[in-house]
Amino acid sequence: MRRYLGIFLTFARACLVRDMTFRANFLLECVTSLGWMSMNLAFYLLVFTFTPEIGRGTGWTREPFFAFVATGLIVNSIVQAFFMPSAEELTEMVRSGGLDSVLVQPLDAQFLLSLHRVEYSSLANGLVGVGLLGWAVSRFTAPPPAIAWLLYPLLVACGVAILYALIIMLAAATILLGRNQSLYDFWFYLTNFSRYPAEIYAGPWGGPIRMICTFVIPILLVVNVPARVIAQPFSAGSWTPIGGAVLAAAVMLVVSRLVFQAALAKYRSASS
Amino acid sequence: MDNSPSAAGDATVIRVDGLAKQYRVFDKREGLAASIRGLFHRESRVVDALRGVDLTVQRGEFVALLGPNGAGKTTFLKLLSGIITPSAGTATVLGHVPWERADAFRRRFALVMGQRNQLWWDLPAAESFRLHREIYRIEPARFTRTRDELVELLDVGGLVNRPVRELSLGERMKLELVAALLHEPEVLFLDEPTIGLDVVAQHTIHRFLRHVRTERHVTVVLTTHYMKDVAALCERLVVITRGSILYDGSLEGIVDRFTSHKIVTLDLDETPDRGRIERFGFPCEIRGPRVTLRIDRDRIADVLPGLLRDEPVRDISVEDVPLEEIVAGLFRGASAAPESGA
Repeated sequence: MRRYLGIFLTFARACLVRDMTFRANFLLECVTSLGWMSMNLAFYLLVFTFTPEIGRGTGWTREPFFAFVATGLIVNSIVQAFFMPSAEELTEMVRSGGLDSVLVQPLDAQFLLSLHRVEYSSLANGLVGVGLLGWAVSRFTAPPPAIAWLLYPLLVACGVAILYALIIMLAAATILLGRNQSLYDFWFYLTNFSRYPAEIYAGPWGGPIRMICTFVIPILLVVNVPARVIAQPFSAGSWTPIGGAVLAAAVMLVVSRLVFQAALAKYRSASS
Repeated sequence: MDNSPSAAGDATVIRVDGLAKQYRVFDKREGLAASIRGLFHRESRVVDALRGVDLTVQRGEFVALLGPNGAGKTTFLKLLSGIITPSAGTATVLGHVPWERADAFRRRFALVMGQRNQLWWDLPAAESFRLHREIYRIEPARFTRTRDELVELLDVGGLVNRPVRELSLGERMKLELVAALLHEPEVLFLDEPTIGLDVVAQHTIHRFLRHVRTERHVTVVLTTHYMKDVAALCERLVVITRGSILYDGSLEGIVDRFTSHKIVTLDLDETPDRGRIERFGFPCEIRGPRVTLRIDRDRIADVLPGLLRDEPVRDISVEDVPLEEIVAGLFRGASAAPESGA
């Protein structure tokens, strides 16, 4: 474990050195990312000028909803900073045969392939998310209980784990197919569902989406469960989704590991 | 702790029995209509990249795998280094089955591919070396000693702190070799390490690899298209064509086995008469007073005294047929033979 931490820190250090080599690019990425996030926040503020609550009786009034948005920013910035850049490179590595040099190293290939690139500029959104969460929580009528603060980081980690597992399964598809640009688009569309409170998925269309995105591909647990713990009243009923999120994260990690191993066994390598 | 047979000092480092690799490839027909049909039904066929290869390599050997493009050389190296899994057959390298990808195995070999960059592109090679130290758990003092020695041998001290993208191909390859040898592997797989390099860089790498082999006792398997690599580095040559081994033996052996003649070059006082010179052997070329004759190996001792006596010879050289020519003949012969199997 210590060795893997050391290797990850070496990757992180090298990426920082590279980012600092191309400083203008780094700053531009930060500005672009923050700009896109600011536009989203402005859009949500606009929505709340028309309605006091997202969905009637859901409890997602302005400040709780911004706590929800902040949680989404934190989860996504972790994924975008630590996992997504490596996964995006995988397509090219498979196509060009760069994966070969990963497979000959005495190291877990999944670790190497999913953590070899860190994109520091994506952490900017996460920092804003932390600030936004602090602002939203400070305006709650009742502050979250201590248990909510204790569970929140664990559930954020579960959310990150679910998204990570999904990325790994798509990476496995890349290895099997040789190229899967559309599957990464699929990831983008799918994760879009996680950006909104689960309560909006109701009715004849929303109901099935909610079921699928909770029990088949548990994408709705990624932001909803930690956000609900911090932004909604904590009760005995809160433990069910919490347990579900922990279980879903564990199952997804195991399944993604198995799928990835199976894909590596079928790797064909590119011609030289 | 590695308890494999090879770790205990077994002289056989690589053992391959009936190793085969098949790929299913999809045929893509030309035209829009064919492309649309291909959405619903794709035609495929099975290609034999390697057909039941047997090979044994002893510790410390330097083996060259030679073959035309698509012969199966790189597929063979990929199987031996565990990158891909075989369709049939068995192999052990240092007592391990390569495609099981055990860390204990992967710590003991290195693979360098001339056409692929394994160093971080935007960063100095020193950063890649540092990562290598972490991955292979190289003790710091040993790491520094090995790195400095390798850097000095290849004379790349001034390059390790420059971004890799700013280096020439030859400079990059030297640094790739340093990175590959930092963990002091027992087996080194080299896939066309001198491809695209100038003569000076080729020479430096030849000298370096000879040193690695003799001083560090590394077993080396090299694939190449360059006969210069083979002549400079290897005693043993394995010729692969169409996924099968056509020849496995010494450099001298291939000359004996596949040629029945020698090349005799004469510098005469004057341009000879063709009919007269044909008495001694087949004239491959007559360019003024310089004549190149092909003479049967069995007759050479009988022919030369007469030639020296009857012709105004100023200079003479007797050589084997160039290796390039022999190997090219082998490749041509193999490609002309009817394909069996697939």
